[in-house]
Amino acid sequence: MISTLQRTIRPVWASRGLHNSAVEALKYQAPGDTVTASYGKFISEIKPQHLSSVVLHRSKRMVLDSIGVGMIGSTTDVFELALQHCQHMYAPDDISSIYGRTGTRLSPTLAAFVNGVATHSMDFDDTWHPATHPSGAVLPAVLALSDMMPASNKPSGLDFLLAFNVGIEIQGRLMRFSNEAHNIPKRFHPPSVVGTMGSAAACARLLSLDHSKCSHALAIAASLSGAPMANAATQSKPLHIGNASRLGLEAALLASRGLEASPLVLDAVAGVAGFNAFYEDYVPQPLESPNKNGHMFLLEEQDIGFKRFPAHLGMHWVADAAASVHKLLVGFGPGTVSPAQVKDILLRVPKSKYINRPFPDSEHEARHSFQFNACSALLDGEVTVQSFTPAAMMRPDLFALLSRVRVEHPQDNPANFNLMYGEVQVTLVGGDILKGRCDTFYGHWRNPLTNESLKKKFRNNAGAVLPSEKVEKLIDVVEELDRLGDCRDLLSELQ
Amino acid sequence: MLRKGITESFGAAIHALNTTQLTDGVINRSKRMMLDTLGVGLLGTRTAVFNKALKHSQMFTSDERSSVWGKSQMSLPPHYAAFVNGIAVHSMDFDDTWHPATHPSGAVLPALLALADALPRQPSGLDLLLAFNVGIEVQGRLMRFSREAYNIPERFHPPSVVGVMGSAAASAKLLGLSPAQCSHALAIAASSAGAPLANTATQTKPLHIGNAARRGLEAAQLAQLGLEGNPDILDLDRGFGVYYKDYSPSAMTDCASGDFRWILEDQDVAFKRIPAHLGMHWVVDAALAARAKLANEVGNFDLSQIRQVTLRVPPSKYIDCPFPATEHQARHSFQFNACSALLDDKVTVSSYSEAQINRPALKELLSKVKVETPKDNQPNFDKMYCEVGVETHQGQSHVARCDTFYGHWRKPLSQEDLVGKFSVNASSVLCTEGVEGVIEVIGNIERVRESSVLGLYLTMTSSQQEQLYSSM
Repeated sequence: MISTLQRTIRPVWASRGLHNSAVEALKYQAPGDTVTASYGKFISEIKPQHLSSVVLHRSKRMVLDSIGVGMIGSTTDVFELALQHCQHMYAPDDISSIYGRTGTRLSPTLAAFVNGVATHSMDFDDTWHPATHPSGAVLPAVLALSDMMPASNKPSGLDFLLAFNVGIEIQGRLMRFSNEAHNIPKRFHPPSVVGTMGSAAACARLLSLDHSKCSHALAIAASLSGAPMANAATQSKPLHIGNASRLGLEAALLASRGLEASPLVLDAVAGVAGFNAFYEDYVPQPLESPNKNGHMFLLEEQDIGFKRFPAHLGMHWVADAAASVHKLLVGFGPGTVSPAQVKDILLRVPKSKYINRPFPDSEHEARHSFQFNACSALLDGEVTVQSFTPAAMMRPDLFALLSRVRVEHPQDNPANFNLMYGEVQVTLVGGDILKGRCDTFYGHWRNPLTNESLKKKFRNNAGAVLPSEKVEKLIDVVEELDRLGDCRDLLSELQ
Repeated sequence: MLRKGITESFGAAIHALNTTQLTDGVINRSKRMMLDTLGVGLLGTRTAVFNKALKHSQMFTSDERSSVWGKSQMSLPPHYAAFVNGIAVHSMDFDDTWHPATHPSGAVLPALLALADALPRQPSGLDLLLAFNVGIEVQGRLMRFSREAYNIPERFHPPSVVGVMGSAAASAKLLGLSPAQCSHALAIAASSAGAPLANTATQTKPLHIGNAARRGLEAAQLAQLGLEGNPDILDLDRGFGVYYKDYSPSAMTDCASGDFRWILEDQDVAFKRIPAHLGMHWVVDAALAARAKLANEVGNFDLSQIRQVTLRVPPSKYIDCPFPATEHQARHSFQFNACSALLDDKVTVSSYSEAQINRPALKELLSKVKVETPKDNQPNFDKMYCEVGVETHQGQSHVARCDTFYGHWRKPLSQEDLVGKFSVNASSVLCTEGVEGVIEVIGNIERVRESSVLGLYLTMTSSQQEQLYSSM
């Protein structure tokens, strides 16, 4: 029996007794002035009018891209596996819809799970700076929760968009607590750390929880965060996003039922790690209440990167660099590059173990291989969704090129998505040397995809599972999202 | 640094370990753990946190259902049964503790029973016992990969790190997965590990065990469907190593070689006599002894005579709480437990109710407490001690020290006391037939043909008690 969920609007009441020894530790702060409490207040007080037009515009682009990427992701093996798992354990339920599967619905947290898996299944989803994949952790949860809310109380498009932006904002703020977060990760996979928190925040917002429950939602989510980098470049990686989405929703639901957790989870208490357990350096900052002077969302200052092909962000630099060398080799007509022409390929890339793979064995590894993406782009002039099919991966020409690759890590090329570059240097058999360099690939936040390019990507993706009328309708609905009276108009077009 | 073969050795061992390797010592000890865990879990079904988790879990439906301990008319999807039962086990901090520190059984047993309920063919009691021990063993092995694990934790709550791995291993064993699938179950589980210590001493702590049980089970089932993770998850620093500052993994002994020895054989668990953090047991025993000395000398014991109470304890921030405001904080407070013992001459399950916590006499005594952390008192459950010193206004001073409390692995509970603890706990929700049935089944588990009989007794409630608590 699915209980109906009511958006709770409860009066603010004093939070339960603060841990006294922690009060001693933070003598300079009055109880309630903790970083954690400021986050709870922010989430409960932020309103649609705080969203600027830039933020509205950028976040709608993110919603569109995320949906499209989720739809094409619903055609992958890992998605199928996750879906089977959920259906096996839970009977179909008339609640939350699944990307690309008309008529299939799952319980809300499981819908968030599989849709999150779909979104990250091909590494095609958005990337931010500091590094994480923000939308995939948040959108599936917000969609699933919207499906769950009673018909008489569905959120408006603007409520939906606000919740989405809260989820993004919280992730951005949390990543700014540490220097470690600014570089390509080595220990914990960022979506599994901040993504869960973002999902919890977004859902707490959509549920209109009071500030204390919003804080507890974050704290409960912290106990559900954290997955190691070693599972990136494996079939399990997409589950990091799926779980971030699902568990953040779960944390918010538990908080709405009154479950409590640490009131200091974001604050740094010596000897008892909270959220700082996931970082080597950690300096938290409180959030100001938006009620005083409005709020500047991070998305206003720092845009997102959208991918043009489904691979780790780092691949986009070498692909663009290699593509320019391909053009030089082939001229402007159609032509092919033959390995026989190539004597040596040198890649100058940042040092990062999990994206340095000379001979990837699986599609997951291929999406995380500088070498593979450079050679594919060198051969074909571009990297596309098709570049990662088994047939494409097993081409003898590609293998021949891969065997000629050397990798260097120049000192001036840091493992940082805001500062790195990719260089491809091809030495031809005749002795000529051709160079390509990319500082900012097309799709990076410094060189954003045009609206046309973004829509084209969406059409290709969503078109893999939906008829074109629905695809066009979705584009229109998302464009109008902040003016929609009822988000059901969005929800109904997803299947 | 790439090491090879460690994860593989774990997958191979989980797959290959069989019932012939179970020794009498291990069988005996693990049955005690199972009994204690069930009793503590049954008692825990009366807590607020359990009821919140139960309501939450009832949102989900499924074809397969598993039983909820202590509830005769209720079942949940298996993952959620593992979740709520796991929460029940840890809800009062009454469950077993091991060295290096973790709560091993609560992460494993709920997952196994939930899985057993859902399997088309019921496993035997011996299958269950074997899988349980695999889950415990894996946890013990993983904790020995780092020095950090040997001390009272500061960063991640250990059950959330090793517990989920143990649950995955145990579930993989019961499912009969191949060696490769067992390895992948561990890899998938690793992505569900790690909850920060700050949520201990809060209502969310029990979820660390509930989630460990549930997500480990899930990992095994996903592995069964063919999902793969990193096959070197245990070998890599950026794999399981992310949860530790120092990390030095080693391979599991080949169980066919004859050199295999269960860790439980050499290192027993501690069972708690009071529902509080393990550290509290030392301070309570010391406080009771100090009180006895004082009463002996003075005759009529009167609290107002006390001028100061000095506690000498190991340094550990999350169990140093001078004025706890909630039951969760009270269970994690040297000060509270020492004062309760001094005030009441005993500490029991009821010592942590709101009424008891808020007693003026207790609060007054708390204000007289001073905490010292002597250099020789290490934050380590194998080495720590607690001293309680009481000074009176008349100038008398008594000090008592506890090195090893009764229930610690060095001084294990007698079988009679262990069964007694179970009976008291289980009787809070089960009728006598149920209580005795569980004792009987666990006592003879290696001879039980179908483990479902256990589930039957675990839900044999006395109808009065169920009605009383169902409205919470």
